[in-house]
Amino acid sequence: MIRYMKLYYLFCKQNLKVMMEYRMDFLLGVLSVMLQQFAGIFFVKIVFDHIHELNGWTFYEILFIYGIAATGRSIHHIFFDNLWTLGWQYIRPGKFDRLLIRPINPLFHFIADRLQQDGFGQLFIGIIVISTAMPHLDISWGVLEFAILVVMIIASGFIFVAINLFFATLSFWMVDSLPIVWTIFNLSDFARYPLTIYHKGIRYLLTWIIPYGFTAFYPAAYFIEGSGFEKLALLTPIIAVISCIAAYWFWNRGLRAFTSTGS
Amino acid sequence: MRKYIEFARVQMQVHAAYSAWFWANTFSVLLRMLVIYFFWKAVYSSRTEIEGLHFDGMITYIIIAMFLQMFVSGVGRELAHTIKDGNVAIELMRPYHLITRLIAMDIGDKVVYFIRGALPLGLLAFVFMDITLPETWQGGVLFLFSAILGIWIGTFFDLLIAILAFWTINLWGLEVMKEAVISFFSGALVPLILFPEWFQTASLFLPFQAMVYVPVAIYTGILTGTEAWLAVGSQVVWAVLLFILLRVLWSFAMKKVTIFGG
Repeated sequence: MIRYMKLYYLFCKQNLKVMMEYRMDFLLGVLSVMLQQFAGIFFVKIVFDHIHELNGWTFYEILFIYGIAATGRSIHHIFFDNLWTLGWQYIRPGKFDRLLIRPINPLFHFIADRLQQDGFGQLFIGIIVISTAMPHLDISWGVLEFAILVVMIIASGFIFVAINLFFATLSFWMVDSLPIVWTIFNLSDFARYPLTIYHKGIRYLLTWIIPYGFTAFYPAAYFIEGSGFEKLALLTPIIAVISCIAAYWFWNRGLRAFTSTGS
Repeated sequence: MRKYIEFARVQMQVHAAYSAWFWANTFSVLLRMLVIYFFWKAVYSSRTEIEGLHFDGMITYIIIAMFLQMFVSGVGRELAHTIKDGNVAIELMRPYHLITRLIAMDIGDKVVYFIRGALPLGLLAFVFMDITLPETWQGGVLFLFSAILGIWIGTFFDLLIAILAFWTINLWGLEVMKEAVISFFSGALVPLILFPEWFQTASLFLPFQAMVYVPVAIYTGILTGTEAWLAVGSQVVWAVLLFILLRVLWSFAMKKVTIFGG
């Protein structure tokens, strides 16, 4: 374990050096993601200029949901972004074999290979949005609430990671599963709004099959009085652990089935 | 001209070969339509109109705008990658104009996408989502004309941004930034009439509203009569302006290529 932490530190150092080499690009990346998130928030703001509540949810509640989604996703974006590239950058060009002959866990190596600077923009926006929304919720923020919030956000991040890992693993059989990963990832768009506005089927799908609901709405609902989802919200960390275990199990199966490309 | 038509044709065939992405895209669009539908349904659950738009009009606007936005970006990504990996030097030696070739390919892309993607999905939306037709046939014709202008403006803007790849390597960032700005200012997410006054004034001086808002506003009857014609007029101005700007920036960038020796 300690060895892996040391290794991750070394990987990070290399990545940071690369980042600092291209400072303009670093800024561009951060700025662009912030702008992207901001566009989404502005959209909600515009709509709420004309209505007072969305199906019983106020502007700041929606904002809070949005902030948790953004912050959770930033964990995924900063540290696990390499999952997007498994097919086209590792398996197709035959580069994945390189990871297999190293004396460390290939998944660890694969993930540590990249630290995605652009995700920091998402993190900043997420934190700003959450702290804007927090004082407007009917809840007194003590140390306990804060700790729960942090746990929820980390859990949210790992649910994003687990879902991406699960579908990226399909690349072991089909060389590049990016279209599938991308399509599934788009489902997370649903999670930016209260799940109560959707049809029952969609709600069920996002709660129990592909648990994006636990990346934003349920954790947020924990802090919103009278939302009726406080109990379900407490499942968030458990769902995160289960998803990660399932994804990792699937990854190991994929690894065993993997036959390299090329001659 | 013949060779460019050939490029467009080949591009269409390339498309047919990558069916995985086609299905991924189709499915994602369907998902997005669902989110939009339920979101606006919830918005309208407690009222019947916003800024004079009823649910029908609003959902029609949003869905048409969503489809139009997909045609607004173009081959900027291809150009940016050609520049980044240095292939642009080789491309420039070949017996065609790189930009014209890219636009020809783009037309091929868009025609295929219109037939295979937008048309069936649009029909689906039309049947299941209370989408309405334009009120008058004149409005419909003007919409088509205006939409083509909007796509033209979007395509040239896209190429203009792609040329920046001569100066940065973070193409992903560039692309995300462009997408954000466009969906923000073009009225692709929500009709500009819902925006604050100052924002509407500001966007009058930007090319973005000419990409999506103007055509879709004509379709849904938000812009009619003289107002509509004036808006189309401003589209023409932007189309010409961006065309010229692209030529200037391109020749400027070409000098940079020579300086670095390819």
